[in-house]
Order: sequence, then structure tokens, then C-alpha cells
Amino acid sequence: MSLVYALLVGIAMGALIQRVGASSPRMILASLRLENTAIMKFMAVTIAVGTVAVYVLSYFIPMHFDIKPTYVVGVVVGGLIFGTGFAVGGYCPGTCVVGVGEGRRDAIGAVLGGVAGALVFTLIYTLIETPLIKPMNYGKVTLYGLLHLPPVIVAIAVSAVLFAGSALLPTVTRRSIGGRDFSPTR
Amino acid sequence: MTNATITTELPARRSVVSLPPWASLGILFGLVSTAAIALYGPIGVSGTYPRLIGAAMRRVAPAYAAANPYLVKMGSLITPETMLVVGLLIGGFLAARLSGAPSAPAMEYVHANETTSSRRWWNAFLGGVLIVFGARLAGGCTSGHIISGITQLAVSSILFGAAVFGSGMLTARLIKGGR
Repeated sequence: MSLVYALLVGIAMGALIQRVGASSPRMILASLRLENTAIMKFMAVTIAVGTVAVYVLSYFIPMHFDIKPTYVVGVVVGGLIFGTGFAVGGYCPGTCVVGVGEGRRDAIGAVLGGVAGALVFTLIYTLIETPLIKPMNYGKVTLYGLLHLPPVIVAIAVSAVLFAGSALLPTVTRRSIGGRDFSPTR
Repeated sequence: MTNATITTELPARRSVVSLPPWASLGILFGLVSTAAIALYGPIGVSGTYPRLIGAAMRRVAPAYAAANPYLVKMGSLITPETMLVVGLLIGGFLAARLSGAPSAPAMEYVHANETTSSRRWWNAFLGGVLIVFGARLAGGCTSGHIISGITQLAVSSILFGAAVFGSGMLTARLIKGGR
């Protein structure tokens, strides 16, 4: 049954990513250049709604939480490498799959690159496990655990900050809505 | 009397309809990610790439696949996450076809060095290598770490999100130099 739920969640997620423009590399670069922050606001609102919803629901039904471990070195180095690739290609591991679905040719390149990246990671895993993944592993740390507060209180506070930031900060900071066009044909 | 009620109701309705797309679609995505955690578990994508490698290795080099601790840890390709990735493909296809909006361009050129379509393609490929390698090192990507991780208030995911946007903005600025 989980497989069916996940397929339906994936279809909804793919459609939302396509409609908001997150599968467009130009929109991603416009976000990273702070020219058009619509995609960042989309993510902020997603988190703001989700965090309150999951912790309120947790009072009524069992939730399938899965907190990722905080191994500081690997998480930060991985994030820095990810950010570089995010800016170079304009895709993330999910948006390139959506991009293939909507017919983007460079999205196929990003997916194939992703397969190559996973192959390299798999081949060198035993070499990087000791220096990058094992050190400074604090386990499943949460913000509410650190603050010794009920999860729902922290969720409401985080949500308020994200909503306020999205509502108050400008979306379009340059006239080129959706980012600059580097197309060689123009 | 009836006129008065209509005129007072209209502006309220309009303000709901006129939410910017990032807000209305973000609310929907927040509900979808909540539904996933309620039904089976947080959304995630990037683990599918090494699981695909594992499925291929078990066919062509079963001894290596059984000996590699990472492939053993990631396990079978038959998981909810794989189905979610299949869903992304279908959802992207359907939304592009059914929305009535003009279809996506086959390529978007985002850097000054992308003077030919093949240069753009290789930038996307290189980006793909880095995002999946980085995501596997960190244990998640935009979906697993930034969206569902911060939704669950995980400290690792907040660290990951800060690192991603920090290096992403810096890289975007450094590449910009060409024009």
C-alpha cells in the first residue's frame, strides 16, 4: 500500500513542481542570483504549512517521522557540493526527473549525471566513510529537542518566521522576471 | 440588503483567489508532504539513484554488489521512494500537457558559457553528478533534507539547507563573470 501512496504523492509533487516552475533551470538560477525568489518562497511556504500540520496531526494519529542523523562534516560538505551542482546545472535530483517528464532535453543530462554521481559515491563509499560520515555524528537531533520545547510550539514559531519572510521580502528584485536568458539564438 | 452582502463578500473572495502561485502551490505541497508522513513516511528522491546502481550491479557484478556496504545499506529498488520518482515523471508530464500553458522549452540557457546546446547539456550533466554525490554524502536532497527534514525540524536538514543555499548563491555569482 505504501508503494501506491508514494506513487500518488509523486504524481502530485511532480505536477506542483512543474506548475510553480521549479523544474526550470532558469527559475532556479534566478533564485540563487536573488533575481526572483518565487521558488524559495514556494519551499518556505511548503515547510511552514507542513511543519505545523505534521506536529498537530501527531496528537491525533501515529505519524511516520524519520529524522536524519546530524553527522556535521558529511552533511555540510555534502550540502556545499550539492549547492555547487545546483548552480551549475539548475536542477535538483527530483526536479530533473520532472523536467524529463515535461520534455526538457538537458534534464536527461542531469538525470544521467545523477546516475554517474551515485556510481562514483558507491565506488568510493568505503574511502569517505571514516573521514566524512563517521566524525561528529550527534544522531537524530531536532530543534525542539535542543530547545526542550514541545514540537508543535517550535513548529509554529518556525512557520511564523517562514510565512513572515515570504510575505514581506520581495519576490522580483530585477525586471527580468524568471531570470536572464543566455540563449545563444537571441 | 442583498446587494450589500454581495459587495462585502466579493473583495474577500478575490483576495483568496489572487494568492501568488508560490503561496497557493506551496500550501498544496505542504499538505502533500504532510500526507506522505501520515501515510508512509517523509518524501525523498536521491536514494533512488544508488538503488538503481545497486539493481544494475546485482545483475552484472553480484559479488561486488553483495560486498559493497553502501549498496547493501540502500537495499532493493522496490521501495516507496522509487515509486515517488516514477510519480514525478508522470506528474511532470501530465501537468505540462494538461495545464494549457505553453510547453516548456527543450533547453533553457542559464550561464554565459552555454554558447551551444551541447555545452548546456554538459553543464546539466555536471550539475547532476554534483547534486546526487552531495545528496548521498549528506543523506538527502531538496526533498528528503530541505522539505521533509526541516518540516520535521531536524537540525541536520537545517545545516544542509544553509550549506546548499550558501554554496549555490556563491557559485551562481562566481559563474556569472562571463557576461
